[in-house]
Amino acid sequence: MRVAGRKTSPTNIAAAYVALLIAGAAMLLPFFWLVSTSLKADDRVLQTPPRWLPDPVRLDNYRRVMQSPTSNFPLWTRNTLIVAALEVVGVTFSSSLVAYGFARIRFRGRGVLFALMLGTMMIPFPVVMVPLYRIFRFLGDHSGMAWLGTFRPLWVPAWFGSAFSIFLLRQFFVTIPDELSEAARIDGCSEWGIYWRIILPLSRPALSVVALFTFMYVWRDFLGPLVYLQRPTQYTLALGLQAFQSQNGGTSWNLLMAAAVLVIAPVIVLFFVAQRTFIEGIATTGMKG
Amino acid sequence: MLRTRAQSGDFLKGLAFLSPWLIGFCVFLLLPIGLSLYYSLCDYSLLQPPIFRGLSNYRQLVHDRLFWQVLKNSLLYAAMALPAGLVVSLALALLLNQKVPGQSVFRTIIFIPSLVPTIAAAALWLWLLNQKSGLINLLLGMIGIPGPGWLTSPRWVLPALALMSLWSVGNTVIIYLAGLQDVPRELYEAAELDGANAWRKFRHVTLPMISPVIFFNLVIAIIGVLQVFDAPYLMTAGGPNHASYFFTYYLYDCGFTYLKMGYASAMAWIQLLIVLVLTGLAFLSSRWWVFYQGK
Amino acid sequence: MKLLSRIISAVLVLCALGILVFGPRANQSIPADRRGDVVVEYWEKWVGPEADGIQQIVSDFNDTVGRQKHIYVQCMSMSNITQKTLTAIAGGMPPDVAGLWHDVVLQFAALDAVEPLEKMAADHGITADSYKPVYWNACHYNGHLYALVSTPGAVALFYNTRLFHENADKLRRAGLDPDRPPRTLEELDRYAAALNTFVVDSHGRRHLDQAGYLPMEPGWYITNTPIWFGTDVWEENAGRFVFTDPRVVRACQWIQGYSLRLGAEAVNEFTSQSDIKGGFATPQNAFIAGKVVMEQQGPWMANYIHHLRPQMDHDWAAAPFPSAVAQQDVTFCPFDALMIPKGAKHKREAFEFIAYVNRQDVMEKLCKLHCKNSPLARVSDDFLHHHPNPYIGVFEELARSPNAHGPIQCPIAQEAGSQFQAAIQGLVSAGRAMQPAEAMALLEQDMQAKWESYLQEQRIRREKQ
Repeated sequence: MRVAGRKTSPTNIAAAYVALLIAGAAMLLPFFWLVSTSLKADDRVLQTPPRWLPDPVRLDNYRRVMQSPTSNFPLWTRNTLIVAALEVVGVTFSSSLVAYGFARIRFRGRGVLFALMLGTMMIPFPVVMVPLYRIFRFLGDHSGMAWLGTFRPLWVPAWFGSAFSIFLLRQFFVTIPDELSEAARIDGCSEWGIYWRIILPLSRPALSVVALFTFMYVWRDFLGPLVYLQRPTQYTLALGLQAFQSQNGGTSWNLLMAAAVLVIAPVIVLFFVAQRTFIEGIATTGMKG
Repeated sequence: MLRTRAQSGDFLKGLAFLSPWLIGFCVFLLLPIGLSLYYSLCDYSLLQPPIFRGLSNYRQLVHDRLFWQVLKNSLLYAAMALPAGLVVSLALALLLNQKVPGQSVFRTIIFIPSLVPTIAAAALWLWLLNQKSGLINLLLGMIGIPGPGWLTSPRWVLPALALMSLWSVGNTVIIYLAGLQDVPRELYEAAELDGANAWRKFRHVTLPMISPVIFFNLVIAIIGVLQVFDAPYLMTAGGPNHASYFFTYYLYDCGFTYLKMGYASAMAWIQLLIVLVLTGLAFLSSRWWVFYQGK
Repeated sequence: MKLLSRIISAVLVLCALGILVFGPRANQSIPADRRGDVVVEYWEKWVGPEADGIQQIVSDFNDTVGRQKHIYVQCMSMSNITQKTLTAIAGGMPPDVAGLWHDVVLQFAALDAVEPLEKMAADHGITADSYKPVYWNACHYNGHLYALVSTPGAVALFYNTRLFHENADKLRRAGLDPDRPPRTLEELDRYAAALNTFVVDSHGRRHLDQAGYLPMEPGWYITNTPIWFGTDVWEENAGRFVFTDPRVVRACQWIQGYSLRLGAEAVNEFTSQSDIKGGFATPQNAFIAGKVVMEQQGPWMANYIHHLRPQMDHDWAAAPFPSAVAQQDVTFCPFDALMIPKGAKHKREAFEFIAYVNRQDVMEKLCKLHCKNSPLARVSDDFLHHHPNPYIGVFEELARSPNAHGPIQCPIAQEAGSQFQAAIQGLVSAGRAMQPAEAMALLEQDMQAKWESYLQEQRIRREKQ
């Protein structure tokens, strides 16, 4: 029986399967090595020739990572979660507001502003890295609260929209039929009401995509925390992992890998569970231009 | 032209919804960009007030041998990593689009590496690329090729880093996957009726339909490839002999290690110019190969 | 499947919430009875046993002087401490005490990023007489004292006496004495050549199995090699870089010579064992594993040998690293510096701690814990006789020697150092393709240009003030 539209000849499927197995192995092998190292005993880590399976297996490494005196894994996890929560909510909410403006309200100069916003995606971070640092220092000195050395430089800008998310959401909002908004307007609904009560609920997949993408970005962000956070008690996980690496030798490789596994594990599970939303969400936003 | 009340009301409404972005744009983008331009014309150590020096930073950059080297390194790396990345991620997306058992498992496996925090990935690949005991050379040895010292050889360090970047293409693959799912089935059916095989279907249906996605990924990649920082910073410290010293890394060093913020800002502006030029070229070329559905 | 996804998502969200609500807070972890004290924040670079060592000293301080004067020191371990401290100073929230590397002391001083300490030092009785000259001079810039030492070092030749004896025949055949270390650099080369052993693999390729000596192993002080050829790369009086000095070029030729004789490939492959950062402090360290017979290291190596391979404790010895010129007791003295950043909130209290560390008894305790020599002029007999390094006498002598060199006295030393390092790497890995004289000419040109622009910037800055 032919499945509509998609070639299902057994040879093709088999070929694809073999290719996938090879690709999967290539992707997974290093990761397997990562996990394997995380379970090795201290003196076996750099053994040559290197062994695939740890012997003896030291699950204890994970406990050492969590309870290490020089690093504070649980604290960093909490820090990362705080920053992630603030950034995810901030980006999703503010980007949806702005995207609504670009997609559902016709006003003069809309096209120009949209093009300008797209253009800002091209600004490399290094251009603004130093002045931003200076601006945050200025804010810290004059606004009565600390900025540098806190989480604020990381999440406050998120509440002003992210170009990438605005773009994604705008593409999605555009596909919602005008009649829905019109009908609501005739019924006397305010613009905010249309946004909040009609458009947002319809945009669940797109919003999930934005939220997920932002979360994954925050979880991994290294340069931002490197520049703005100053004390080890504030570190996020991506930055804190550095604590397992020493500058002149003495890196505990097995502990570093174990810490890395702990950092990746939640995101893997998250992705596995959310993949369909992810992919469908991007598809519906339409990358068609 | 008369502005109707509805129109000016709309303008205000539009502005209201746009306000978060507008404010953010001014404070976190426009202002820093302006400051950055000013700093690029100054000597600024961040600890003392900036001193205006005109174009002296730019003049110095032109004569700075290291600047030209990092530029060359970054562009060479881009020439390797960009095409390879696009091809590999597209190929993987095509594979992952096939309805095979365990599809979601495969998708997760391909995506996982892009989730590994850079420092762990750097540590991992430092190992994999080790000349004597690394996995890559072990595998090469099994087929009889003596592997080079990937990270210790000026010739092989850039390909090594490009190879490493291929491992984390998961992000791009997902976007391609989404694009592939959008290709209308009718087109495939029509092609099959015309007797097209897999390759022709790919060439004449898939490619044109996802060309906007390819374009999107290309632009994102151009913007990103010049900003590669984490891997060389954590793995090679720019060595050996500055062979893997990249643009943003040198920028970071000038700014935060030697505290020559003015110099670093000038470099950042040159980086911006390069990105604009490359993206502009991409846009121009898009007229020939990007095909928008129904527009 | 859908249900499973839902359950997993729910579990994830619950975990996240759990950590958010019940997770640890960034509290100060100051003991209750010290809450009223002045808290001095101290950033240090060390991890592992060296971190434990300084932590002990910090605790000692807190329990004695700290308790008396109501000061509580908190020590935090930082990676990339140089950049982090600079960014912290630029951000207006620096630590009170920063434990930095020796090669940035001048950079920080020149940037006006740290406080001058001579007044506070004099008040505590710390003067030029208290220190060995090499360390005292290295802490000065423009006539001001900007740092004091926490732990010092001095590099010497470590050699494996057991391997010397096992290879006694080979050495004697080469006309060398297996019972003593090489005394000149030329002799070192001959010892090294006699002690190299090779293996041939199944493809017929020759691999270096054991190396007599390799400049790149570990190569921590390779940019200081010129001092064993009679000069430094910076000329103090003229205030210029002298990379093109024939002695510097000869130093580069010497380094490159090893790559050329053994083959750049072989050398790269051999050193790649410990080029993985972290290979140093493991039993696979080349010297500890017996893969390299001689190396240039600091006194702390004894500690690492003892911990990683105690059966080797009596198989090694230390001697002054031989020179290429007729100079005795040439050494390079790195050190760990304690500085007070500008903008620190508790400068006087910070210096109380620094002064404490520089007390003779405290310093000797710390240096014994770190297995290093002492920077102080006076050293007790107990220190010399009960030191974990049986050859500490060698290191002490070297640190007092008139031929002991500290880091070059140039504010852009760090940049020069990393450029020089890159150039040397190029010479080593490119093999015959690169000529030392050429490379040095280019380097000198580049660094002089940078130096000129630095001077110009300083001039303009002074004019505008």
